[in-house]
Amino acid sequence: MIAFVQKYLVIILAFTFVICASLMIPERVIPDEESVITEDNRVFKILAALGADGTDHFPDTKLFGVSAKRGRTLVEEGFSTKPGGGTTKKQSKHFVCTSCHNMEKEDPDLRFSDPQARLEYTNEKGLPFLQGTTLYGAVNREEFYNDDYYKKYGDLVIPARNDIREAIQLCAVECAQGRKLKDWEVESILAYLWTIDLKISDLNMSPEELTFVENALANNTQQDSAAALIKSRYLKGSPAHFVTAQQSREAAVAAKGNTDNGKLIYENSCLHCHENQRYSYFNLDDCDMSFKFLKKKEDTYGDHSVYQVTRFGIKSVSGRRSYMPQYPIEKMSDQQLQDLRAYIDMRAD
Amino acid sequence: MDKFIIVFFVFSCISLSAQDKIHQTFKDTRVINSHSIETLKKGILDFRIAHRFGDFAGDAGGWPTFYGLESASDVMIGFEYGISDNLMVGLSRTKGAGPLKQNINSFLKYRIMRQDDGGGKNPFSVAIVGLGSYSTMQQCSTPGLLCFFEKSPHRFSYNLQAIIASKINHRIAVQAILGWTYRNNVEFNDQNDLPSAGVVFKYQFSKVFGLIVDATFSFSDFRKNELGPDGTQRFHNPLGIGFEWETGGGHVFQINLTNSSGLIETDYIPYTSSSWGDGEYRLGFTISRQFKL
Repeated sequence: MIAFVQKYLVIILAFTFVICASLMIPERVIPDEESVITEDNRVFKILAALGADGTDHFPDTKLFGVSAKRGRTLVEEGFSTKPGGGTTKKQSKHFVCTSCHNMEKEDPDLRFSDPQARLEYTNEKGLPFLQGTTLYGAVNREEFYNDDYYKKYGDLVIPARNDIREAIQLCAVECAQGRKLKDWEVESILAYLWTIDLKISDLNMSPEELTFVENALANNTQQDSAAALIKSRYLKGSPAHFVTAQQSREAAVAAKGNTDNGKLIYENSCLHCHENQRYSYFNLDDCDMSFKFLKKKEDTYGDHSVYQVTRFGIKSVSGRRSYMPQYPIEKMSDQQLQDLRAYIDMRAD
Repeated sequence: MDKFIIVFFVFSCISLSAQDKIHQTFKDTRVINSHSIETLKKGILDFRIAHRFGDFAGDAGGWPTFYGLESASDVMIGFEYGISDNLMVGLSRTKGAGPLKQNINSFLKYRIMRQDDGGGKNPFSVAIVGLGSYSTMQQCSTPGLLCFFEKSPHRFSYNLQAIIASKINHRIAVQAILGWTYRNNVEFNDQNDLPSAGVVFKYQFSKVFGLIVDATFSFSDFRKNELGPDGTQRFHNPLGIGFEWETGGGHVFQINLTNSSGLIETDYIPYTSSSWGDGEYRLGFTISRQFKL
């Protein structure tokens, strides 16, 4: 017996160590990287570590051809390499995702949808000021095509409201007036969107709040509160309310326009699509003739009135499917519209 | 040939430089008759209809033809397409106002250099246009007439142009054209080669409304000296003046008065025989509608 023990001592000790060590492992492992929060930590991972329900629209990477790189090309250029070789047909003749959506954070405080704060923030970051909500952090949102988008797209928004895949398809077919995306394309876009999800640094949390979350992770205490705190720092959907041009005209009567602000809107919003006819046949530039034309049309009720076109957009019709999407009040306020008018008037005169 | 390739390559490199470029020197790819410096954007299909009515005044005009509106000296229906932002092709059919009728025309236009915006180094845009025209009219029975078509290649005519243009400011743009027209079959005392020069001017009154002027001068002793049946000069240089409206949504509408009755370079450069002085100018219009493909 002693001889047996001596012969297999090393093995017995190793076996005993493994058993003891396994008994010492706590019930739930919190990796070090998640118990000490850094700015680069991804919000969805922290929420998962806290045991909170997060969004579950992860891409199906088992599907042949799915790649974040392809997704990025689809988003930015409208086409991509095919999984089997060659290039896909362009998704839309008229638009790409970046025509209407930024790919970077565009609101300084993600708790609010404040168009003026967004205008200043995007201008500071060199981003355009657009009708669509940024796709940065889109995968962290739970709702899409909110509020008044029902008025525009009717029942089409119902399946898209809580399903990001349906939202992507609705955007591809209706908003971009293009073809329906193939499954691998949708999953690739999702894979790309997961590379631009929210990070802890985007939430502007105070040191005390970060410490609270860290403690919750480290001690498995107050995890629900920590998750709720994180979720309170960003909107789960992007609010969208349409107002009429008439309402904006009436609001404008009492408002005094800020030409500096109007200049930012003209340059970062109007020119984004119209300069050199980038996405539109209607060309706009920095020349006095453009401003005189816009001024002349301001109080008309046609497509060239800034009130009409901002609040109603331009319809997509057979033979001319390219159109201009309108700005919800959360994307351009009545005050901003008046600022734009003031700038146009100043340049025209 | 080697030199041509080198020049082509150099111009291509210049056109690829990253400096901001002038947009819309002209609103359309044509200025009355002449090609402008503009090319269609990649993927744009342009459907064009151009029309030249009969003489406004003179022997063939006036009240009997309702100032030319009841006759059509030439009509063009065609499609043009932007292969890239600087390269376009076109295919059209024209009625034909000269001796060659029922023409099928095709062209290729390449913009090899674009003017820099904001006072950059390059103050000009440069393009070349190559055009071929084939008359499908029935062969006539009189030898010596251009429509006799002794050989099938006699139905062909060609035109090559080098265009240089500059947008001086937001309102004024100018353009010069050096052209060479070659017809496989000509009258016995004419020459196959016909060099020409053109000038184009645009003044933009407002964002959507502008004045356009287009003149072409051919260099040919035959054209200078040849007399018509009435003893007056037979050929005249085409000169047109018109207005241009951008109506939005990809529409450009041009209305003009010109003494040329033909619409295609191989027609109006060698065969314009109407004179402004004799009231032989006509109303014309061009409608252009663009589609994204």
